[in-house]
Amino acid sequence: MKTIHKTVITSLMLLITSGIVVSCSSTKDKYIESTDVEEEFVMEKSGAQLWGEACNRCHLAPSPADYNDTDWETISLHMKIRANLTEKEMIKIEAFLKSAN
Amino acid sequence: MKKLIVLLLIVGFGHNSYGQTYNDFETDSIEASQPYKPSKTQFMIRGYGHTGLNTLSSGDETESSYVGSAFAPIFLFKHSERLMFEAELEFVLGGNELEVGLEYADVMYILNKNMTVRAGKFLLPFGTFMERLHPAWINKLPTKPLGFGHDGIAPSSGIGVELRGAFDLGGPKLNYSVYSTNGPRLKDGSEEPEEAGMLLFQNFEDNNNSKAFGGRIGLLPFADSSTEIGFSTYSSSKVGARGSEYDNTGAFLYAIDFAFVKQIPAIGGFIDIKGQYNNSDIDDATFTEVHEDGDEEEYTFDNKSDSFYTQLSYRPTMASSDFLKKLELVGRYSNLNTPEGAEWEEQSDQYTFGLNYWLTWRSVIKVAYETTDSVGGHDGGGKTDGFFVHWAIGF
Repeated sequence: MKTIHKTVITSLMLLITSGIVVSCSSTKDKYIESTDVEEEFVMEKSGAQLWGEACNRCHLAPSPADYNDTDWETISLHMKIRANLTEKEMIKIEAFLKSAN
Repeated sequence: MKKLIVLLLIVGFGHNSYGQTYNDFETDSIEASQPYKPSKTQFMIRGYGHTGLNTLSSGDETESSYVGSAFAPIFLFKHSERLMFEAELEFVLGGNELEVGLEYADVMYILNKNMTVRAGKFLLPFGTFMERLHPAWINKLPTKPLGFGHDGIAPSSGIGVELRGAFDLGGPKLNYSVYSTNGPRLKDGSEEPEEAGMLLFQNFEDNNNSKAFGGRIGLLPFADSSTEIGFSTYSSSKVGARGSEYDNTGAFLYAIDFAFVKQIPAIGGFIDIKGQYNNSDIDDATFTEVHEDGDEEEYTFDNKSDSFYTQLSYRPTMASSDFLKKLELVGRYSNLNTPEGAEWEEQSDQYTFGLNYWLTWRSVIKVAYETTDSVGGHDGGGKTDGFFVHWAIGF
């Protein structure tokens, strides 16, 4: 069991290291580009589409009207972490929910 | 007369001047018309609750009871765009008592777009059921699959620190989680002899210096995020109490999970398939059984357990009838195998069938039938049939 445990720890350390390297190697330009919501709306999936896809993975997609903008900001941050959503998904979904409530 | 005119003029102009100060458009009126400006710090209470009727039949015995309302408030404190605290309490009426539990309480900080650190008591990403799907308003059936919950083989939460995040791979997505917790403790049978060799995952104070390490990698291979495959591990080189004969007993657990959720026009609705396989391997150890006559007998067993569930549900969201749109059919198969030779040896198969009616996206009435065939276990095995009517609401 100790060999397995050491293998697990080594694998997890490799995973962490890879994650840090990839995260830190992202250029700032790309980061800004990915958060440019208006541009992404045109080029990629809409927030409404992502809302339907990401939320339904676990539960029924929520009605935008059930919360106000401030609440959606809190819920979006919570769900980004809880459901491991990408930043792009969270930003677009939050923008859609705030525009449709 | 002149004095009266002067007095009236003074009162008149004075009144106008006084009145104008209260109609100053540069102060009050403009401020009143400004939109509400929310504070940077935000606080919300969310959560869920459920209640229902359970009827269980085993052999000639039938028990029917309204099960107590469970109330699980979730507190969210958003301190900034990166910092948040979350906590969930759980109030459950069971066994004529009010049970109160702290499901999780942790602080989260977003390091960058791909990394978030969490510390405290958090739900463990060992598979997806306990972390994402167990709340009553999300779980499509009134019961948990075998292997989860009380005396389950899969961990649900732990105290420690975690790094998690997600990557967009230009269509496919990858999410990960890596954590260290106090880890489980081994039940040595001194308090509950019938559970000797089981792992107790609620280890609020570590019983040894060996921490548990675990993680999960989830891959969503398709751009529509309809499919997710996950692999989780959870390992501890020592689960026994420090200084005890079980000091060097280790444990390795892993899980494989699968999910497919998609609206398919050809069948007029949403298909939701979920599944998870859990495997637990604990180092063999020798335990002591005390017989009624006081004699002691040592025994050991191959301490391996596994459990599995798969669930299929269908919602006819494209039906023309509003009533039909809100219905959902659910079926689940679940299986549990605990070690042969252990006091808690059990082989169980369970089938559950449910019909749900969604009042809103977060409120559901669940009607389900469940049949469980067991050999061994706490109740000695046999066949148990259950009928459940539950109402769950998220808020």
